[in-house]
Amino acid sequence: MINFDNSATTFPMPEAVAKAVYTAVKRYGGNAGRSGHSLSIMTAGKVFEVREALSQLFDAKPENVVFTLNCTHALNLAIKGTLKAGDHCIISSLEHNSVSRPVYAMSRRSGVTFSVLEVIDDDEQTLDRLKRLIRDNTKAIAMTICSNVTGKILPYKLIGELCRRRGIVYIADAAQAAGVIPLSMSDGFDFLCMSGHKGLYGPTGTGVLISSERFPLSTIIEGGTGTTSLELEQTGGLPEQLESGTLNSVGIIGLGAGINFVKEKGMQKIYDHEMRLTNAFFQGLAEMKDITVLRGSGNYSAVVSFNKNGFHSDELAEYLSDRGIFLRGGYHCSALAHKYLKTEKTGAVRFSPSVMNTKDDVKKLLFELRRIS
Amino acid sequence: MNYNLIAMTSITYAQKAKSLLNAQRMYCEIQKTPSEYFSGCGYSIRVKDDISKVTAILRENGVKYKQTASGYRR
Repeated sequence: MINFDNSATTFPMPEAVAKAVYTAVKRYGGNAGRSGHSLSIMTAGKVFEVREALSQLFDAKPENVVFTLNCTHALNLAIKGTLKAGDHCIISSLEHNSVSRPVYAMSRRSGVTFSVLEVIDDDEQTLDRLKRLIRDNTKAIAMTICSNVTGKILPYKLIGELCRRRGIVYIADAAQAAGVIPLSMSDGFDFLCMSGHKGLYGPTGTGVLISSERFPLSTIIEGGTGTTSLELEQTGGLPEQLESGTLNSVGIIGLGAGINFVKEKGMQKIYDHEMRLTNAFFQGLAEMKDITVLRGSGNYSAVVSFNKNGFHSDELAEYLSDRGIFLRGGYHCSALAHKYLKTEKTGAVRFSPSVMNTKDDVKKLLFELRRIS
Repeated sequence: MNYNLIAMTSITYAQKAKSLLNAQRMYCEIQKTPSEYFSGCGYSIRVKDDISKVTAILRENGVKYKQTASGYRR
């Protein structure tokens, strides 16, 4: 079995993550932040350790690290907690539906307007286009850092600078970037949203929202926080304000082990390894007939989407799955990206390695692709 | 034994305070806020050092707290 669908969820997970999850189930079974007994306090302590690890990884304060269910949850908290009637928001042509759908829903229901930035390979020109889209009422720029379809890395530092200069809230989707590209809150993010189960090698059911503190968020979910329990008003202050309900402490503890794995391996080494595999795959594809690769020049991460003439992407992905090689066909939950790439009819097959993949895995994939050439 | 108590604004700030004080080799444990000392539900830290010394460290590090009390027996 070879998994090249790591952009969706990284698998296999490191052994240390499996062990941490097992230990959490067996030992840290208290409800973090709810009770005063040792089991609860001890579990809360483990959760805080992971908050601290994330704060160190992204140069944030631990209290500004909010645990969520996934990146989509984090993005919804940030987008819907920021925008209100009359506000304008800018998203990009490469957005995942986790950004485009909440923004679109707010445009339908809440009097928000939005524009779509066409991302091109030249970062300076992309930035110029972005500047031209800014209006007096532009409240937020909500954009991916790295496309989950093409791997294109947006000029996030330039966007961060622009947002700081113009007082615009920068909501960044780091689902494909966290753990792969060294990101810092000093890059200008106001809300950095990420999955725990991709580049951070944690279990599914974990996501993170990190706030810069510059802009407050309204809540879209209220409930128990373990503090101010006698008041009907939602608890104020991060992270509890945005963490109503029992935390996924088992998943969070597993995420902590995933973060340790990334730190020990080294983010640069992981990136270099994934890029070596991606380049080998890219070169292999270039030697084949009837293949279209959805990749330009400029900054790209270890994600390659492609199509083969005469095949729907789902058909090709199924062919590979039957041979024990897992890639994702279809539309990758990215309506805007596939419209922009003009792949609405076929979708695309996406190759996304992790540090667990080897050159042999790439060779086997290329071999299977050549067999149907 | 007598302790000093500091009611925190959240479990996260209680954890941050404990992490900070323990790193300075100061005793600090987290407990539920006792109702006989403070009103409302939440978490407090239990310390042995002088309250003004501890709160100064908390303020320097941006750790939010609500109230303090001394003479807590446990």
